Amino acid sequence: MTATDMTGLAGRGERRRGRLKDLITRWSFMAPSIVLMILLLAYPIFYTIEISLTRFDIATFSAGAWVGLDNYREVMADYRFWDSLWVTLIYLVIALPLQVALGFGIAFLINAEWAGRGFIRALFIIPMVVAPVVAGGIWRMMLDPLWGIVNHWLGFIGIGPLDWFGDPALAMATIIIIDTWRWTPFIVLIATAALLALPKDVFEAAKIDGANWWSTLWSVAIPLLVPVIAATFVIRWLGAVKMFDIVLASTYGGPGKATNVINLFIYEEAFRSLRFAESAAMAVIVLVLTMVLTALFLRGTRALEDRY
Amino acid sequence: MSQARKRRPIGQTLRIVGGVMVSIIFLFPVYWMVLTSFKQQVDIFTSPPTFWFEPTIAAYAEYMTRADILPRLINTVVVATLSALFSIIVGTMAGYALARIQIRGAATFGALILLSRGVPPIALAVPMFLVARNLGLTDQHITLILAYSTFLVPYVMWLMRSFFLSLPRELEESAMIDGCSRYGAFFKIILPISLPGLLSTLIFSMILAWEELLFALVLTNRNASTIPVAIAGIAGDTVNGANWAALTAVGTITVVPVVIFALLVQKWLIKGLADGATKG
Repeated sequence: MTATDMTGLAGRGERRRGRLKDLITRWSFMAPSIVLMILLLAYPIFYTIEISLTRFDIATFSAGAWVGLDNYREVMADYRFWDSLWVTLIYLVIALPLQVALGFGIAFLINAEWAGRGFIRALFIIPMVVAPVVAGGIWRMMLDPLWGIVNHWLGFIGIGPLDWFGDPALAMATIIIIDTWRWTPFIVLIATAALLALPKDVFEAAKIDGANWWSTLWSVAIPLLVPVIAATFVIRWLGAVKMFDIVLASTYGGPGKATNVINLFIYEEAFRSLRFAESAAMAVIVLVLTMVLTALFLRGTRALEDRY
Repeated sequence: MSQARKRRPIGQTLRIVGGVMVSIIFLFPVYWMVLTSFKQQVDIFTSPPTFWFEPTIAAYAEYMTRADILPRLINTVVVATLSALFSIIVGTMAGYALARIQIRGAATFGALILLSRGVPPIALAVPMFLVARNLGLTDQHITLILAYSTFLVPYVMWLMRSFFLSLPRELEESAMIDGCSRYGAFFKIILPISLPGLLSTLIFSMILAWEELLFALVLTNRNASTIPVAIAGIAGDTVNGANWAALTAVGTITVVPVVIFALLVQKWLIKGLADGATKG
């Protein structure tokens, strides 16, 4: 073996060591979050699934005897679960499109060029950082049938007095109003940025071609905005399926069960009635539903982005 | 836009008036909360509701000194700060890995974490409560901090990933050619120029942790309980009737610091929002 061979071998070993070191360095950036997410996200989800398949042992406060799908059968036969899903669906179907439409509409209004534009836009940050539980509380006060300022004002135009928390339909309107108040500003801020980023020359061209305001909106502005609108919708969806705080602080699911959204229902079943196994089964069903719908929405967003 | 102003000044004026009116409507509830918090009991329950009254800080004096409010406020500050700091360290490193370092499987992991934003917290709250209870960890600050990292780390990771993607690649490449290690490039070159993004993400994370209710309800009861739990208690207190003085005073204390913080960094906050929605 000659001297050059020796150095070549040492170099290879060093290179291998170097490559290993590099690999460790690369993974060290990712490792903390992977460990954390396995411990705090994946493990709890698997534990929920385990609990949902067993009879919960109240004595040891852990999963007990294996019962297969019994809990799921029981939950599926529980009309209250279906009622609660239905309530959640109504809330989502009304609130999400309303908030996205309002958000973009308001963004159009406040994007008018004038000296106070930046100031007005900054003001929209304020409702966005009001804790949802506080939002629920303030609106509960404002909508109070007896002393609330909203009913007082509605009286001026001959409406009311409305029993916001006593009537099932109005109670649903209440939580949608509060949710819309709390979340529309968030969409407004995204939408203002999106509107400002629109290419101006396309609108000039439309104007030169004699397009009126309406057809400019539908044929030029909205197609250009579709990716942002879709993305906003998905983000808002991810927040809205977690609806809990506002309902808890305003209607607490009432009257009856008219605004008992699924998260509140599961919370009550688990922590008030201590029916952990059934709650776990419901949580798993909701988890699967949410995941499937989220995946669908994400895929839809991508398809829309490709089309426009 | 400028053409519209020349040709249709009326439309432009209508937009401005409309925009101002809408913002007044959106701000009114906050204004009303702050106003009510300075009212005496007799001024709170009047018909019609009054805007003019002799202000008092009685509600603050009473509730801020109560044993179930001040400690919770301190807990909220501690938990929000620590969980945001912890999540920003872990999340930023992962975000950098996803944006810049080629690791096999990392993209899948990133997609999984993105999907995890759809996990309903209630599906985590039940097992976390049971595990924490069996480990004797309920009502501890560390439990809440870890619980909050389940939504903060994915959030930070995704925002910082899109932030790092927007930086020119040459930055760390030239640094590494100059003999910087990967850590060196990250800590000495990338992090300093990412400060605006980091700061706005940090503040956003703190706000998210600050207002969190479900985990706090489930995982704490006295020692580590936070202010949203107190507010939920006050708002839902049907036994003593509507305690609007307490609600608005504690609500104002909860909201005002966050509003000031958010307005201080509004430029970055808006940018972060827009990036979070459109990139990634």
